[in-house]
Formats: sequence, C-alpha cells, structure tokens
Amino acid sequence: MEPRRKVALVASCLLNQNAKVCQGAHYPGVVSPVVEALRSRGYALQQLPCPELAFAGTRRWWAVYEQYDTPAYRDHCRRLARAIAPLIEQYLRRGDELVLIGLDGSPSTGVRFTSSQPDWGGRPDRPQDDWKILPRRGIWIEELEAELAGRGLPPLRATGWGLDMGRFDEAGARADLEQFLDEPERSGVEGPAAT
Amino acid sequence: MSLDARGWRMALVPDALINPPAGSAALPDALPILQAHGYGVLQLPPSGNYGPLLAVIADQVAEYSHHGYAVVAIGLHGTAGGGLHWRRLAPLLRHREVALPPRHLIRPGAGVDAEAQRLGAFLAAYDVPVEEQRRWRR
Repeated sequence: MEPRRKVALVASCLLNQNAKVCQGAHYPGVVSPVVEALRSRGYALQQLPCPELAFAGTRRWWAVYEQYDTPAYRDHCRRLARAIAPLIEQYLRRGDELVLIGLDGSPSTGVRFTSSQPDWGGRPDRPQDDWKILPRRGIWIEELEAELAGRGLPPLRATGWGLDMGRFDEAGARADLEQFLDEPERSGVEGPAAT
Repeated sequence: MSLDARGWRMALVPDALINPPAGSAALPDALPILQAHGYGVLQLPPSGNYGPLLAVIADQVAEYSHHGYAVVAIGLHGTAGGGLHWRRLAPLLRHREVALPPRHLIRPGAGVDAEAQRLGAFLAAYDVPVEEQRRWRR
C-alpha cells in the first residue's frame, strides 16, 4: 500500500505563466515562490487545466466574473472538471491530504476572491483598476467543487495566490500561502466570505 | 506586452519528473531547471487511463503552438511513452494540426549532474523560428 501523500492541486498558471491573459504574467514560467513553499513542505504538485486558455485562447481580453458567467463557459468548465476529477478522486480515495491553490482575483480560478464589474462589456477600453474584488469563488473553482461534491468527495482545503488582486505583493502573497500551509489540517473548507 | 514577463516557452513534463517517487535520486530535479530557463510546465498525469484529461492538455498545446509559443516534451527514458502518454497524446496533437513537440529523454542512472546539464542545454537551445516570434511576441 502506498504511503499517504500531501498533494497540492495548483492553478495551471502557477506552473505556467504563459497561460495568463496578456500583461498578466509576473514570471517567465513557473511561479517559483509557490512551488518552493509547497515542495519544501513535502507537497506533490498536481496542475489543474486552465479553463480560460482553452475557451478564449491565448489572446483573450481581460474579463471579470460576470463576463465568464455564461452557460457555455460553465459547460466548458464542467468538461474540464470531469477530466481532472478522476485523478483527484484517486488521491482522495487512497487517503492523500489535498489542498487547492487557486488564483485570488481571477474570474475563473479565484478561491477567496474574484474580480467583478457587472457593466463590463463591449469595446475593451475601460480604465485600469476599474473592477471590484469580491469575496467569492471564480467560476472554474465553483464548477470543479460542484463536480467533486457530485462524486461524494469531501470539500478541499483551499486558498488562492493573490496574483490577480490588482496590485501584486509577492512577499505578502507568500506569507499568506505559508500561513495557510502551516495551519493544522481542519475539517471543512474555508469559504470565500470567511477570509 | 512590455509589462508581461511570460517566457513564451513551456514543456510537457511527466508526473514522475515533477513528483519523483521516493528514492529516485537518479533523476535530476527538472522543475528548477525549467524555471531557470524560463519555461512553464504542462504536467502530464501519472500512468493510468486519463483520456479526457489528455484531450484537454492537447487542446492547450494546440492553442499555444498556433500562437507563437514554443512547446517541448521532456520524457523519461525506459518508461512507457517516456511518461508522456505519447501513444495517446501524439494522435490527439496531430488531430489538432499540431506538429509533435521536440522530445528530450532523461536517462535515469546516467548521472544526475550530466543529465541536468543535458536538459539545460536542450531547453536553452530551443525556440520557435524567429519569424514566428516576430509575428506573435509583440
């Protein structure tokens, strides 16, 4: 029998910044502070698919939660969730300890926070910072969690790396992640509004 | 793109290279090498039947490959398909009109330092043609 492992499900762009929307990449490839924090604590890494890249492409516009909140995009996210869920289920069934590291501020991969601006649309000429950060999941995380719940799997401990919060503070994001990882494992899941 | 730090290069990488099994000291640690050369990672699942996930990965590779990104594959010599699910992934890529990425195979037991150097040299040398870079990387 294999020993119980610690596994971190990580947003695609945390291992591959090429997945980011134009002008959103802060690193050439791997987000090294996240990888170092996880590996130094014994976590194996499992990359999640990037829903925005496969849906809207590498040259997509910036967008907020409300723009991606469409039946077609949710269907797409459910397809991705069904593709990765068997692997996650396998980890959980054999007793591995899982955490989910998303991307706070992202309309798709936000865990504690997502970006919101209900009147965004049309020609993309909005001024910088013309959006709000709301305490809620992004759409991909909502659909992934729904897929896992539908399989009778327990909620995952989850947090987000604050890359899409408007102004990125690497030291603060790292301290926040390390605090999350060093907390003793709790039952239940941290909801977005509780953080 | 002046505010953007993306490296425009990435590698398909087997799970066994990202999460080496305990006691596999014969393998170089690929992640820091990829990181040092500015590569992102597209992680392949461990061995098993993950067809839908491979299709999703192939979709992503197609999107990158068609828009000026360099994609390579790092495999493990002596494992089925190099640990890259190559027998299933290659047709998925061809179906999406993607030229198969150049593959570099790491040889377990050939010397960790030597293999790390060989991987680094491969990563440093590869990119898409200059015309492709000029077309997309503005």
